[in-house]
Amino acid sequence: MTETDATVFVVDDDAPMRESLRNLIRSVGLRVELFASAQEFLRSKRPDVPSCLVLDVRLPGLSGLDLQRRTTEAGMEIPVIFITGYGDIPMSVRAMKAGAVEFLTKPFRDQDLLDAIQQALERDRKARDQRAAIEELRKRFASLTPREREVMKRVVAGLLNKQIGAELGTSETTVKLHRHQVMEKMGAGSLPELVRMAEKLGIPVPKS
Amino acid sequence: MAEFAESKNDFPIEASIPDCTVSLESILCTEQLRRRPWRPPDYKKENHALVALLSARLDPQSNILQTLAETILDVTQCDSSGLSLLTKDDGGKRFYWPAIAGTWKPHIGGGTPRDFGPCGDVLDRNCTLLFKHFERRYPYLLPVMPPAEECLLVPFYVGGKAVGTIWAIMHGDRRKFDAEDERVMSTLGQFASLAYQSLESIEDLKLQIAAREKAEAAVRQLASGLEAKIRRLVDANIIGICVWNLEGEIIEANEAFLQMVGYSREDLLTGRVRWRDLTPAEWRDRDERAVAELKATGTAQPFQKEYFRKDRSRVPVLLGAAMFEGSGNEGVAFVLDLSEQKRAEEALRASEERWSKLAENSSAGIALIAPDGRFIAANLALQKMLGYTEDELQGRTASDITHAEDRAATEAHIAEANEGQRRVRRVEKRYLRKDGGVMWADVSTVFVPASGSNSAFFSAVIVDRTERKQAEEELHQKEVSLREAQTALAHISRVTTMGELTASIAHEINQPLAAVVNNAGACLRWLAAQNLEEARQSASLVIADGHRAGEIIGRIRALAKKAPPQKDWLDLNETIGEVIAMAGSEVRRNRISLQTQLANDLPLILGDRIQLQQVILNLLINAIEAMSGMREGPQELWVSSQKVTEIPGESTEERYEDRALADAEWTHVLIAVRDSGPGLDPKGLDRLFNAFYTTKPKGLGMGLAISRSIIEAHGGRLWATANASKGAVFQFTLPIRDERMS
Repeated sequence: MTETDATVFVVDDDAPMRESLRNLIRSVGLRVELFASAQEFLRSKRPDVPSCLVLDVRLPGLSGLDLQRRTTEAGMEIPVIFITGYGDIPMSVRAMKAGAVEFLTKPFRDQDLLDAIQQALERDRKARDQRAAIEELRKRFASLTPREREVMKRVVAGLLNKQIGAELGTSETTVKLHRHQVMEKMGAGSLPELVRMAEKLGIPVPKS
Repeated sequence: MAEFAESKNDFPIEASIPDCTVSLESILCTEQLRRRPWRPPDYKKENHALVALLSARLDPQSNILQTLAETILDVTQCDSSGLSLLTKDDGGKRFYWPAIAGTWKPHIGGGTPRDFGPCGDVLDRNCTLLFKHFERRYPYLLPVMPPAEECLLVPFYVGGKAVGTIWAIMHGDRRKFDAEDERVMSTLGQFASLAYQSLESIEDLKLQIAAREKAEAAVRQLASGLEAKIRRLVDANIIGICVWNLEGEIIEANEAFLQMVGYSREDLLTGRVRWRDLTPAEWRDRDERAVAELKATGTAQPFQKEYFRKDRSRVPVLLGAAMFEGSGNEGVAFVLDLSEQKRAEEALRASEERWSKLAENSSAGIALIAPDGRFIAANLALQKMLGYTEDELQGRTASDITHAEDRAATEAHIAEANEGQRRVRRVEKRYLRKDGGVMWADVSTVFVPASGSNSAFFSAVIVDRTERKQAEEELHQKEVSLREAQTALAHISRVTTMGELTASIAHEINQPLAAVVNNAGACLRWLAAQNLEEARQSASLVIADGHRAGEIIGRIRALAKKAPPQKDWLDLNETIGEVIAMAGSEVRRNRISLQTQLANDLPLILGDRIQLQQVILNLLINAIEAMSGMREGPQELWVSSQKVTEIPGESTEERYEDRALADAEWTHVLIAVRDSGPGLDPKGLDRLFNAFYTTKPKGLGMGLAISRSIIEAHGGRLWATANASKGAVFQFTLPIRDERMS
C-alpha cells in the first residue's frame, strides 16, 4: 500500500467548497473523490484502498451524521472527519461518540484538515491490515478438516492430548497427528501463537 | 271654771307664755270644799235635770252639750257654767268651748291653748279642783270679764282617755261652792262622758252616711258611664258579645258574634242559636269547667275554644264570661275571633319551617354566631364545608377556624359590630377546615343587636369560593403566562430575526471563506512542490471564492426578501383578530380604546402567517408604546382592512385607491394601524425603516426594518404617514394575486 493508493472521499453540497477541498487534498499527493450528497456517496463503487471520509454535517437529504450511522451499521468501517459551517457542542459530541476522527468548524486551518486526514488514513490502514490478517486466519482455519478443528478447539482450551483422545474417542497418537496438522495448516510456530490466532478467530480460550 | 280669750281663734301663743310667777298652789282652794258647810242634796232637782239631759240625748235636734251647761248652772246655782273640750284635729293642743251658760255665754266658741288655763291643770291632776281668781296665774284669761271669783272644774274621760272638763264659776261672793257641788259635778261629769260619746256616735254616723252617699253617687255615675261604654262596645261589634243562660240558650248577641258563628238575627230570635250546640264535643269538658268556675266565682277566666259555624266549619275563639249578679243563671260572654291570629300563627310557623328547611338544605353555609364569635348553630352545608360537626363548631369561635392571616381582620370585624359600627359586612376570607385545608369563602354577616328578651347575634352566610379562587388564580397565572409569552414573542421576533440573520450570514460567508483558506493552502503547497500550474489554478480558485463571498454579502442584504416564506392562504381579518387577542391585555392595561373596521369581503392572501402576525403585532405594540407616555387626550387605536386598487407610478401615499375601477381590478389588501399618540417626527420619517434606527430607549431598531422586509418579501409595501388629526398611521399592502412573488 503506497501513499498514492490512499483515497479521500469528500461529501459537501457546496461545489466551490468541494473543489477547494479536492485542490487542498491533491496538493499533498492524495487521491480525492467528490460527492455532492450522502446518497451519491452510498451509491458509488469505491476502490478497496485505505481511505477516509470528509463529511459536511449539513447536507440536503441525508445529513452527515445520518450517513455516519448508516456506514457503521453497514459494516463499512471508514474513518470520518466532520466539517461544518456552524457546529455546536451536542452535535460534535454525537459525532465523536459515533467514532469520528475529527470535528472541524469552517473555516478551519488547512493543516488541521490534512493532519486529520493523515490520522484517519493511518487508522484505516491498521484496520484494514487487521481485517486482512483475520481473513487469512479464517482461510487457514477453513482449510482444517472438521476433526482437526475439534482438536484445535481443545488444544487452545489447554487440554492434554490424552484428554482430547478420551473426549473424541480416539487414541493419543491420532490426536498428536491431528495436532501437528493443525499447527502446520494454521502456520503457527508455537502453542501460544496458535492460542493468539484462536483468540482472533473468536474461539474460546481459557484466561490464564 | 274657765278660760277665756278675747277672740275665738286668734290668740298669740308666743306673746302669752305664762311667766309662772304665781304658783298653782296659791290659786287652789279645793280642800276648803270639805271644810265649808254643805247643803243637803236636792235629789228631786237632780233627777229632773238628769231626765232632761237624757231626753236631750235621745233627741237628735237638741244641743246636748248646751243642755248640760245649763243643767250645771241650774243645779249648782252658779253664775256661769260650760264645757271645755280638747281639740281632736291637732291632737289636743287646745281647749275650745262648745257650750256655755250664764254670764259667760257670749264666749261660746272661744278657747285657750291647753296649758294657758286651769283646764290643763285639772286634766294633769286628774281630779276635781277649786280655783280662786285663776287669772292671777293665767294672764291669758285676764281680758275675760267679769273675772271668776271661784271656779269648780271637773275632768271627764271617754274610754280612759281625758276629753275635757265641765266647770262652774261664781263671779262674786253670793255663794261659795261646797262638797255637795263637788258631788253633783262629778255625777254630771260622768253624764258629760256619755253625752260626748253620743255626740261622737252621731257625728260618726253622719260622716258614714255622707261617705256612703258620696260613694253611691260615684257608683251611680260610674255605672251610668260604664253602661254607656258597654253599650258602645256591644254596638261597635269589635268583639262578639252574647247573653246566655246555663240551659245553653243564647238570649242576646251582637252582630260580631252572629257573624263569627255564621247565624242570622232571625236564627237568634227563633232560639236556634244555642251555645251548647255550637260547641264541638271535644270542647264540652272545657265548657263545663268554665261553668263550674262561673258558679263558684261569678267569672270565667278567658280561654281558647272552638265553635261550630252554621255551615259546620269551625272557628277558633277566645272566650271570657261573667254571671249576672244575683241571677244565678244568666251571664254575658265576650268572644274574640282567633281565626286571623291562628292563621298568622300558622303562617309564622310555616314560614319559620320554610326558613329553617331552607337554611338546613341550603348549599351555602349558614351560621348563627354569638357576639363573642362562638358558633350557636351551623347548617349541614357549613358542617360539610368545614368538616366540623355542629357540636364541634359550638365549641369554637369564628376566629378559631379562620386562616391565621385573616384572623386579625375577623376579630376586628366582630369587635366593630359589637361597638355598633358596620353591622352588615361582606368579605372574602379563608377558613381552616378540620382536615387542615384552606377554604376560600365569600362571607356575608349581619349583626343583629339584642332586642327584648333576644340576645344579640351574628347571622352569617358562607359560600365556598375555593374552586372559583383556584380558577381565578389559574386565570391570573394564564394571563401572566400569556403576557410573558407576548413579551417573549415580541422579543424573540426581534432576537431570532437577528439571530437567524447572523447565523445565515455566518453560514453563507463561511463557505467561501473556508474555500479560500483551502485553496490558498493548496496554492502554497503547489508552489513548494514547484507545480506552478496547479498553484496558478489554486490562486484563481481563491479569487473566485472571494467573489463568491462578495456576492453572498450582497445576497444577505436582501435576505428577508429572498428567504422563501411558509406560504398559506390566509384570511387577514382572522390574522388581525389573533394578533388583537395577543395584544389584548396590553391594550387593556394601558386603558386604550381599540376599534376595528374590517372589510368583510377580503380575498384570501398567500402569505406567511407567523411573519404577518409579527408585522401587525409590531405595529400594534409600537402604537401602544407611543401612546403609553401620554397623560392627556384619548388613547385610541384603530385597525382596519380594506381592498384597494394600485395605481402604478404614483407616490406611495397616493398609490392605492380604495375604489375599484372595475370589480376584478382590486389588486391589493390594505391593512392600516392608526393611533392617537404624539405622532411622527417628519425629520425621522425617512430613516424610520432603516435597520438599527430607534426612538425607544430599549428598542433594537429592527422592528420596522424587519417588518418592511417581510411585507416586501410578500410583494407588498409598508409605509408610515402622520394621522389626519393626531398620531401616526402605519399601513401595508399585500397583493391579492401572487404575481409579485417569485
